[in-house]
Amino acid sequence: MSLPTLKSLLGKKSEVTAWLQSFLEMTKAEISVEDNQHNLLFGSAPNPSQTFPVTLENETVGWVNGDERASIVARLLSIMIQKDSEKKRLGTEVLNSYQELNVIFNFSEKLAQTIEPNVIAQLTLEQAIHSIPSHSGVIALWDNEHAQLSIPASSGEKLFNEELLRNNAELLLKIGLSGNSEIMNDLSVLKEKNIIAGDVQSLVYAAMKVKHRIMGAVILAGKNQEQYSAAHLKLLVTLALQSSSAIESALLYEKNIREAKEREEAILRIHMVTQKFVPHEFIHSLGKEVLTDVKLGDQVEKIVTVLFSDIRNYTTLSERMTPEENFNFVSSFNMRMGPIIRKHHGFINQYLGDAIMAIFPNQAADGLAAAVEMQKAVQDFNKERQSNNQSTIQIGVGMHTGSLIMGITGDENRLDATTISDTVNTASRLESLTKYYKASIILSDETFRQLQHTEKFHLRNLGKVQVKGKLAPVGIYECFSGNKKEEIDKKEKTLFAFNKGMSEYLNKLFADAIDSFNEVIHSHPEDLTAQFFIDKAARYIHDGVPAEWVGVEEMLNK
Amino acid sequence: MDKKILIVDDEAHIRMLIEQTLEELEDEGVEFLTADNGASALEIIQEEKPNLVFLDVMMPKMNGMDVCQKVKKELSLSDVFIIVLTAKGQELDRQRGQEVGADVYMTKPFDPEVLLDKARQVLGIA
Repeated sequence: MSLPTLKSLLGKKSEVTAWLQSFLEMTKAEISVEDNQHNLLFGSAPNPSQTFPVTLENETVGWVNGDERASIVARLLSIMIQKDSEKKRLGTEVLNSYQELNVIFNFSEKLAQTIEPNVIAQLTLEQAIHSIPSHSGVIALWDNEHAQLSIPASSGEKLFNEELLRNNAELLLKIGLSGNSEIMNDLSVLKEKNIIAGDVQSLVYAAMKVKHRIMGAVILAGKNQEQYSAAHLKLLVTLALQSSSAIESALLYEKNIREAKEREEAILRIHMVTQKFVPHEFIHSLGKEVLTDVKLGDQVEKIVTVLFSDIRNYTTLSERMTPEENFNFVSSFNMRMGPIIRKHHGFINQYLGDAIMAIFPNQAADGLAAAVEMQKAVQDFNKERQSNNQSTIQIGVGMHTGSLIMGITGDENRLDATTISDTVNTASRLESLTKYYKASIILSDETFRQLQHTEKFHLRNLGKVQVKGKLAPVGIYECFSGNKKEEIDKKEKTLFAFNKGMSEYLNKLFADAIDSFNEVIHSHPEDLTAQFFIDKAARYIHDGVPAEWVGVEEMLNK
Repeated sequence: MDKKILIVDDEAHIRMLIEQTLEELEDEGVEFLTADNGASALEIIQEEKPNLVFLDVMMPKMNGMDVCQKVKKELSLSDVFIIVLTAKGQELDRQRGQEVGADVYMTKPFDPEVLLDKARQVLGIA
């Protein structure tokens, strides 16, 4: 702040000048005013008898020349310039306060725009050094979790040894991070430990705290003695407090984000796992997205194709194995079948020991294609087993298309994803027929009807059966696309004769039927199905059939 | 020719603050004029033709925007550089400021450093 001058006091348009002018006119006195270099500032006094000084804080800033009346002018001018000086001083103080206010305001704005602790620390140090001239500064933060001091921001000359600063946390905690804020001039201890450079003469630090927890401190260093004033300390404390709560918020925010992410990942993991226990397609069919949305009583009715597969003579097979071998066998088997079913847009409703129940919600052809591929997979499986000197296996597959109710049954505390329907029973019974008719895959006429391109599969009509528990007889077909190549070729070749035989058989022309089937056997001796019908026909010839017989075989047991 | 700055604000402490901020310019010979309302501001502008005017917006009788409009649009005194001052956060004012021809728009509390720099720039005094 520069002091007011006599020149400015008497500047043009100054009311002082106007007053002096009228004073001189009134008193007709000859008075002149000079600055302290004796340059004329006002008036004229050719022959002054006396000269009086104009003073400001005991310094002479000018002269008033004239007679004894000049002394009054000198006194008055001194008082006026003194008042001017006080006003200026006050003005400067007000401006300083205003500037401080501005700093804090801007700083708050900057803080509001960031949510990262390190950025906040850097902004804080920047602002501190800008407003409180220093040679160097650091911000030290105490990390409670890892029990160590971190230094997220540093600036200016290298007057702090950051390594030692970090390692001497306890010392610092005692001196500075005790929650106080101070100007320090006795730096002997810190210099001894080489934490600060020798030419540092003063330090000012402000604790960063939230409630009663000390987070860290802002520390500024200066090379001059008396570099820091109380006003500086006050400003530093203000900045420190502002940044403390901003950093606290930022850390909490980070923590929140982290925890939210972990929770989300945990939920995702659970969903992924539940899908493996209750197929997604099942849940989706109920109109729900995830297992947690499902509730007791949810159900839906759909037309689907159900596939049942079973390993023949599994009981005998399993007797020869240890429990562990058994488990491994079934696991190994299921691992091959699962993907095949999914590949053909089906899902596994249940693994029941050696049996598999799968559902194909889209097309019947999907299910049949899956059945064929399953049979082929069994052939590959068998090759492997033979090379390991293990016995081969055979599976039977039964399929039926109809309506199915999928739903969540049970009680409040124990739920089960269940399928209830007749369709399932039928499919299951058809599967059990496979060993009876010596066919590897049997499908119902309903499934047959749903196939849009029957030419893609090798099929033979096997008449009708009365499935236990059902009122109406079910027409059945054999699909032999999954058999070994030689078998497929032979069955193809004898297809005409076979169909002829079936037709005769169903029309009770048993003798003709036997002839046709014998033709089949002639070309394909291993066709056990043909043999089956020969035996049946022979029996009917012997025992006779009721008049109303339409070729429906009674299935007396499953 | 001597440079002149006119400070217009109905609040005495703001006038003083601006004067204090630009104090060094006064020491360098710039003349400071003040007014506490829009009407007298207009008179002074027409009479003294100041180089730079700090114009508060919220004033009784005649507000800063109207003064600016008169000076820039009606009287076409293009050599008078007008800095309009208003409380922070009134975006509408910024638009209006542009409409009435204000040269610069500043919000209060103003940054003293920025104010001084701007004044030096406008007056062409380094």
